[in-house]
Amino acid sequence: MTELFVVITVIVVALIFDFTNGFHDSANAMAGPIATGALRPRVAVILAAVLNLVGACLSTAVAKTISGGLFDDSLITAPIVLAGLLGAIIWNLVTWLLGLPSSSSHALFGGLIGAVIVGAGLSSVNGSVIVSKILLPAIVAPLVAGLAAAWCTRLAYRITRKTPSVYSNTGFKYGQAFTASMVALAHGTSDGQKTMGVITLVLIAANLQPSGTGPQLWVIIAAGVAIGLGTYSGGWRIMRTMGKGIVEIETPQGAASGAATSATILASAHLGFGLSTTHVSTGSILGSGVGRGAQVRWSVARRMLFAWLLTLPGAGLVGGLAALLSDRGVSGVVALMVLLAVACSVIYLFSRRHKINHANVTDSHEVLVLAAATPPTYDDDPRLEAPAKPKKVKRPKAKSVA
Amino acid sequence: MYIDWAALGVVTIVSITSSVIFTILLAAGIRLVSAAKIKSNQGGSGAMTVSLGYALLGVAGLLVLFGIYLIVPQFH
Repeated sequence: MTELFVVITVIVVALIFDFTNGFHDSANAMAGPIATGALRPRVAVILAAVLNLVGACLSTAVAKTISGGLFDDSLITAPIVLAGLLGAIIWNLVTWLLGLPSSSSHALFGGLIGAVIVGAGLSSVNGSVIVSKILLPAIVAPLVAGLAAAWCTRLAYRITRKTPSVYSNTGFKYGQAFTASMVALAHGTSDGQKTMGVITLVLIAANLQPSGTGPQLWVIIAAGVAIGLGTYSGGWRIMRTMGKGIVEIETPQGAASGAATSATILASAHLGFGLSTTHVSTGSILGSGVGRGAQVRWSVARRMLFAWLLTLPGAGLVGGLAALLSDRGVSGVVALMVLLAVACSVIYLFSRRHKINHANVTDSHEVLVLAAATPPTYDDDPRLEAPAKPKKVKRPKAKSVA
Repeated sequence: MYIDWAALGVVTIVSITSSVIFTILLAAGIRLVSAAKIKSNQGGSGAMTVSLGYALLGVAGLLVLFGIYLIVPQFH
């Protein structure tokens, strides 16, 4: 009975993680096209959501392992997976609140590592695999994609130097829309499958599904719909940082960075050196800014790099704490669910203070959390009230001299 | 610690080359098609330029199709 309860909880939490995965990575494909106006925000997220769903349904060859060689597969139990997922969800939500793109798969690995350390000790984690499969790619991905994007941007501007932008922009916008769609489709095939894998492994471990079989139809559909809904909801805070915060994206530059992103993602997926989609697309946008000679906000880039380096320990900390409760039967799991609900609500309420949505995503480059900003004025946003007319200063009546 | 430097090198080279080729095709195609449009607006004929331009864009489109082929596992 307890086991069934834990399994059901893991499935629900895995789908929640899939949802956060979707809105965290929506920006990877669509921040560029939205920033340049190649696609309208609503159209962009609908397109990305559908492609994510299609991608998730296309690729159902579930990976045999979710540990990625980071630790022994036999350590993976339902409570560990639950704790790891919780760590990843909380990390995704906090970075979303701050508007920072960070890799969802790294967050999941981080959460699982934290949970495994609490459950089986520090020595059970393979440190060198962390360096070679997580830290090194996090540094390499933005460099490779950035280099590609910088060269592409230079070439694009050089080749169309004498072409009036009235003519060239349409073509570049089409190019951008196509490359962004490819990124969304590729994302669906890789990340949708991740959640299916988690659910299937837990079902097999609980003897609810014969070992060695693929994901069941309802798992495929549920995972695809969860990631698609997440993508549709947009993750507008991250969208703003990537589309506006790092650098202003012009149309040819956007097309070049889209080309670099999709080429790098496809190359890494098929030539055996895995790179995170988030790191690749962020690197492309940075590189395209450098290639155009635009003013890149390096402070934003630095913050993102810190977030990437903190992803593993951050999600690991939450995952580890969750692991203290997750193997204590029904009461522990219920307590964790209550804590998760509280954390989600608090983060959501914070996000409401400076709401970012499809209507205002490209209005500014800042993602604010606390009230640190100057209040918007009439000049920024005509929808606000017109400024009150200056009141007439009452002058003291000159007393008539008697 | 095992790091697959060869795979990393291949990924780097392939990423940069393929994105550069795609961008050259796209930008050159756009330039030629635009030039042809401007020419025909001025009363000239740009048939040669426009067909070359669309040919380049077509090759860029083929690259996109190849990308989709790579993404969809059912194709290979």
